[in-house]
Amino acid sequence: MENQGYNYAIVRSFVTWSVIWGLVAVLVGVIVSFQMVAPDLNFAPYFTFGRLRPIHTNAGIYGWAVGVIFATFFFMVQRLCRVPLWSDKLARFQLWFFNITIIASAVTLLLGYTTSKEYHEMEWPIDVMIIILWVAFAINIIMTIMKRKEEQMYISLWFMMASIIGVAILFVVNSAAMPVSLFKSYSAYAGTNDANVHWWFGHNAVAMALTAPPLAMFYYFLPKSTGVPIYSHRLSIVAFWSLIFMYLWTGAHHLLWTPVPDWIQTLAMGFSVMLIAPSWGSVFNGYLSMNGQWHQMRENYLVKYLILGITFYGLQTLQGPMQAIRTFSAFIHYTDWVPAHIHMGTMGWVSMIAFASLYYLVPRIYGREVYSIPLANLQFWLILVGQLIWSISLWVAGVLQAGMWNAMNADGSLTYTFMETMVEMYPYWWARAFGGLIYMAGLIIFIYNLYMTVNKGKPTAAQTAAAVGRA
Amino acid sequence: MDWSSILYLAVTIGLFVIFVLIVIHTYSKKRKRKGEIAKYRMLDDD
Repeated sequence: MENQGYNYAIVRSFVTWSVIWGLVAVLVGVIVSFQMVAPDLNFAPYFTFGRLRPIHTNAGIYGWAVGVIFATFFFMVQRLCRVPLWSDKLARFQLWFFNITIIASAVTLLLGYTTSKEYHEMEWPIDVMIIILWVAFAINIIMTIMKRKEEQMYISLWFMMASIIGVAILFVVNSAAMPVSLFKSYSAYAGTNDANVHWWFGHNAVAMALTAPPLAMFYYFLPKSTGVPIYSHRLSIVAFWSLIFMYLWTGAHHLLWTPVPDWIQTLAMGFSVMLIAPSWGSVFNGYLSMNGQWHQMRENYLVKYLILGITFYGLQTLQGPMQAIRTFSAFIHYTDWVPAHIHMGTMGWVSMIAFASLYYLVPRIYGREVYSIPLANLQFWLILVGQLIWSISLWVAGVLQAGMWNAMNADGSLTYTFMETMVEMYPYWWARAFGGLIYMAGLIIFIYNLYMTVNKGKPTAAQTAAAVGRA
Repeated sequence: MDWSSILYLAVTIGLFVIFVLIVIHTYSKKRKRKGEIAKYRMLDDD
C-alpha cells in the first residue's frame, strides 16, 4: 500500500478527529433529548437547550459527517485516480484548520453568538474560516483528479466533485452578510428572500454534504466489500446527473404555506417528487449489485451496514417528497415528525455508510485486521434498534401532535391548549432519549473496536508479507 | 411575455435538453464498453 506513495497518514488523522466529533455530537444530542423531558437539566446560560442544540447539529454535520468526508475522500481519490494526493502539506493544514474551526464554532455557539439560521448558525468570522478550509480541500481533491492515471472516472469521483463544488456555492451564497462587529452580522437578504436563500442552502446542504458524499462512499465501498462490481455504471451516471439537475430546486418545500410566492412552492414540490427517480436509481443499482450475493448479508458485516444504509436512503427519499406535498406538509410541518425524518437520514443512512466506510478503510490504512467482528455486529444492532426507537417514537408523537393541534370544537375553538399537547409528548420524548442512549452505546463500541484494531489488531496478510520481505 | 420570462423559459428548456443529451450519450451503444469499464477497473488491486 505505502509503496504507491499514497498519503494514508492524513486519512488516519481525519478518521480519529471525525470519530471524536461524532461522539461529541451524539453525546450532546442525548443531553438535549433528556433536557426536553427533564427541564432541570438546563443550566443557564451556557448549557441550555437553545445553546446546546446547534452544537449537536453542527458537530454532527461539520464535525462527524464532514470529518468522514475528508477521511474517505482522501482515501478514495488516491485509489481511484491511482496517484498520491496533490499536496500533503495542504491536507495537513486542512486537518488542523478543520479542528480549530470546529472548536471555534462550539465555543461561540456556547457563548450565544448565532446568526439564528438553522445549520448555518456560526457568525461571519467562522464562515470565512469554513470557506478557507473548503477551498483548500477542493483544490487538493480536484488537482489530484486532474493528474489521475485512470482515463475513465468512476462514479464516486463524480459525486465527490459535485459535493465539493455544490457545498462551496451554497455556503458562500448563504453566508453573504453585513458584519457590524466581530461577532454580529446581518444577512444580505431581506424578508422572504432571506428565508428562500436560507432553505435553498439548508435543503441542498443535505444534498451536497449528506447525500452526494455517502453515495460516493456507497458506490466505492459496496463493490470493494462484496468483491463484485456495481450493477450498472451507466445507470449510476444517469442517476447522478438527474440528482444534480433536480435537487437544487427543492429547498422551498421547507417554506410551504408561507409568504414565499406560490409558484416557488409549487416548483419545489414538483421537483421534490421528481427526485424519487434519481434517488431510487441509486437504491436499485445497489440492490441489483447484490444479485447472487445476498448471502453476504449474513457473512459480511460491512455489506449489512451498506445495504441497510441504502435502504434507509430509499425510505428517506420516499418520505421526504411525501412531506414536500402541500396537503401532507400542512398536517405534519412543525411537529416531531420532522426530526424523526431527519434522524432516520443521519443515524440510519449517513452514519451506517460512514461506519461501514471506516470499518473498511481503517484495517487497510493501519495494516491490521479488524479487532472484533462480533463487536461490529453488536454495534450494528444497537445503532439500528436505537435509531428505530428514536424515529418511530417521534413519528407517532408527530401524528399525535398534529391531530391535537388540528382538533376543533363545534364552535370552532381549539380542543387542546398548547400545554396539553406538550404534556402528551413526554412518553415519546422519553423513548427518544433512551433510543439515543442505545445508539450512543453502539457508537462507543465502534470507537473501542477501532481503537483496538489500531493497537491490538492482527497484522493483515499484506502487512505480514511486507515484514517478511523486509526481513 | 416579458424578456425575463423568455430568459427563464430558455434556461429551463436548455437545461432539459442538456440533460437529455447526457442520457443519450451515456446510453449510446457505441459507449457501452467504455461506460462500464470504470466499475471493473476500480476493483483491480490498487
